[in-house]
Amino acid sequence: MVSEPVSGTLGLLVVGGLVVASLVTLAAGYRVVRGPTTPDRVVALDVIGTNVVAIALLFALVTGQGLFVDVSLVLAIIGFISTVAVARYVTEGDIIE
Amino acid sequence: MSSETDTTVIARTVVRVVVPIILLTAVALLLQGHNLPGGGFIAGVLTVTAFALVYIVFGREFLQRSLLHVEEDGFLGGAIGEYGRTFTFGLALAASAGVGSIVLGELLDDGQFEFLTQGVVFVYHVPVYHEIEIPTALFFDLGVYFVVVGALLTILAVVGRE
Repeated sequence: MVSEPVSGTLGLLVVGGLVVASLVTLAAGYRVVRGPTTPDRVVALDVIGTNVVAIALLFALVTGQGLFVDVSLVLAIIGFISTVAVARYVTEGDIIE
Repeated sequence: MSSETDTTVIARTVVRVVVPIILLTAVALLLQGHNLPGGGFIAGVLTVTAFALVYIVFGREFLQRSLLHVEEDGFLGGAIGEYGRTFTFGLALAASAGVGSIVLGELLDDGQFEFLTQGVVFVYHVPVYHEIEIPTALFFDLGVYFVVVGALLTILAVVGRE
């Protein structure tokens, strides 16, 4: 699953996307540290998870290696279930009834 | 089912769609685990993730009574006992994965195979998947898979009971 790395204009766009996703992750990290309430922190952590998924996918494009797509797939699944669990904890108080 | 703590229709529908996809990803990672990222551990974790989604959204009663068909009872019976037996089966499978080559060498009668001798079988013309590679390392991966599934589901069920 190794293919040619992207180059040219698309390559520049992908690197730009990597920079933007990294900056958004840093901004969300600030919200995780400062966030006054628990839902703020939860949403910021979810944003970080989604951005790491995006970074893994863009990195798969940069390096041309398909195995990073698996990384992003598994990260997306784990991020989804953690969001569901925390949402249930915030609203109900317990996770498994 | 009490209407007070019920989850929404959106959550139930999404989980109904997502759980088969998670299980399919787990099987794919298990089958490619010997020469690409993946393997028994992450496949087991993803399977437990699917179970945990059903636990969270549909509740403990639904999973254990309607899906697994086990009756609720004591600490080591019921669903927790089943998870414990899964753990034991996986541990036995992983431990005996290396011994299989010795037994096979005795049976085939063409010289003694060493402990942990490897082999691989290719299965061609499988629909959709095209080509499946079955190495002897897959049995160790299957053992790790059952150990992880059993251990994590035991933790989930015991903690969820309290």
